[in-house]
Amino acid sequence: MIEVKNLVKKYGDHVAVDHLSFTVERGQILGFLGPNGAGKSTTMNMITGYISATEGTVIINGHDIYDEPEEAKKSIGYLPELPPVYPDMTVREYLNFVADIKKVDRKRKDYMIKDAMKKTKVEDVSERLIKHLSKGYKQRVGLAQAILGYPEVIILDEPTVGLDPMQIIEIRDLIKDLAKEHTVILSSHILSEVSAVCDSVLIINKGKLVLQDAPDMISKHLNKKDGLHLVVKGAKADVDAAIAAVPGVIQREYEEAKEAGTVKVTVYSDSESDIREGIFYALSDAKCPIFDMQSTTMSLEDIFLEVTKEEPKKRRSKKKTAKEEN
Amino acid sequence: MLAIYKKEMRSYFTSIIGYLFLGFFLVVSGIYHVVYNMVSGYSDIAYALSGVVMVFILLVPMLTMRLMAEENRQKTDQLLFTSPLSITQIILGKYFVVITVLALAMVVVCIYPLVLTEYGTVNLVYAYTSVLGFYLLGCAYMAIGLFISAVTESQVFAAIVTFVVILITCLMDGIVGIMPTDNKSAWVIFAILVLVLAIVLYAMMRNAVVSVGIGLVGEVVLAVLYFVNPSFYDSSVTNFFGWFSVVSRFDQFTTGILDLSSVIYYLSLCVLFVFLTIQAIKKRRWS
Repeated sequence: MIEVKNLVKKYGDHVAVDHLSFTVERGQILGFLGPNGAGKSTTMNMITGYISATEGTVIINGHDIYDEPEEAKKSIGYLPELPPVYPDMTVREYLNFVADIKKVDRKRKDYMIKDAMKKTKVEDVSERLIKHLSKGYKQRVGLAQAILGYPEVIILDEPTVGLDPMQIIEIRDLIKDLAKEHTVILSSHILSEVSAVCDSVLIINKGKLVLQDAPDMISKHLNKKDGLHLVVKGAKADVDAAIAAVPGVIQREYEEAKEAGTVKVTVYSDSESDIREGIFYALSDAKCPIFDMQSTTMSLEDIFLEVTKEEPKKRRSKKKTAKEEN
Repeated sequence: MLAIYKKEMRSYFTSIIGYLFLGFFLVVSGIYHVVYNMVSGYSDIAYALSGVVMVFILLVPMLTMRLMAEENRQKTDQLLFTSPLSITQIILGKYFVVITVLALAMVVVCIYPLVLTEYGTVNLVYAYTSVLGFYLLGCAYMAIGLFISAVTESQVFAAIVTFVVILITCLMDGIVGIMPTDNKSAWVIFAILVLVLAIVLYAMMRNAVVSVGIGLVGEVVLAVLYFVNPSFYDSSVTNFFGWFSVVSRFDQFTTGILDLSSVIYYLSLCVLFVFLTIQAIKKRRWS
């Protein structure tokens, strides 16, 4: 459906996007993650044909965006970082204009505009000038513009920015709904959003692809050891002796406990064994009651920070080892 | 293209700009018409129109400044350039709107000669040729304004630059008059121009070989020409700069002759600057 091949964008000596390749299948939602300046928007601008690539190409629905731009662009709906709205138009006029430049079938135009407004819940402001709308509404009008005409590919650059929590949930549901018939690429800073909505996550940093996998698989890439946070009542020596005896425990990290007479510890095990039961009985036998037990799986946030902060060289080797372990 | 045309047309006439343009233009052309043709009694509308040319300095930037600059600033160009429309269609749509607005003003101007026929004999062929020339002149200025608007994000910048450029073309006749005509200073002036061209090329392309090469070849050709055939430079400076005198071409129309070279001159200015606008947008996508 969308095929990105070896995409490179250079601004002078600065490489914004560095040999990026990936494909998105029909009906998939691809989440695009990366810190500021990672090249997310640049990549999206290249996929939609707004800017050109220094090298490489993008094929949308079988049409090359640079060789057959008009054909390829017909199947794209794009919501850029800033919603591209005209402040001096009413919402309806604006969507009417968008339908015209997208060359939407005249007979179905009115229905499509109505449907797009209904889906993004902007019907009640349809006769108001866009400049009088709040940021959240502008964002939704931008979204209505992107889905207008039912394009096969919908590309959304940070679609939930400026929305309140209720609207974010609505938009997420809308995006999930859209994926039934469309292919969606979205970028976001909000990682929980990506893990909630996307089938596949693509993390880029400094223009380079760092990781691509399903959101729940990604944590497995890096989560080499499972940790267990414990708060236990008792003397440190007793607790340590009890925990150390549990099979599968490979590492123990002690922290300053807030409560007097308790020990705060993080226990790591190898990935094969589940140590929770062993720990419970060991501490119970040692008469050290457990106040708190919590397992630490790496959240997408941790992974994100982990993979984007490292030096490129180190990261590559780590990625390799992560793959080998799989 | 029609969608862009309709949208721009609407935006001129839902805001104050369209009315301001038409109102201002009609007031000034009306005053000139009354003073020259009614009060002074000249039957030739061209006298009035050659005075009205000066209002283009103010009115063209007013109409063209927002055309692309505003799209660039609000990032709505992302919507246009990711739509199935080609850049050419978008730019032509916008250009046709400004020349349509100008044509609306010309419709009123076309009535003036008819009014004059009430008071005596008016050569209508003379009159309408000069109206046509005036319109073509305006279209050429609009194309220049469109180009300047496309290379900036700031309406104010676009307005000021367009203002200055049109002002210079209006003053060019006077500037040409004080230009030296002897061979040696002509050589020096062209040598400086080639140097400036080379520097501009370097600033745009950052390619030392090409810009220095073009500069050197240009300078050598100029020097050889000067020493082999100095008469080549005879009044070349005034001819060269006279070419930029967009207004003086209009005088051809006022004599009632539909001068083909002037028509082609204006039309090629329109085509050139619309083409340059499209290229400038394409270049920005590539850089």
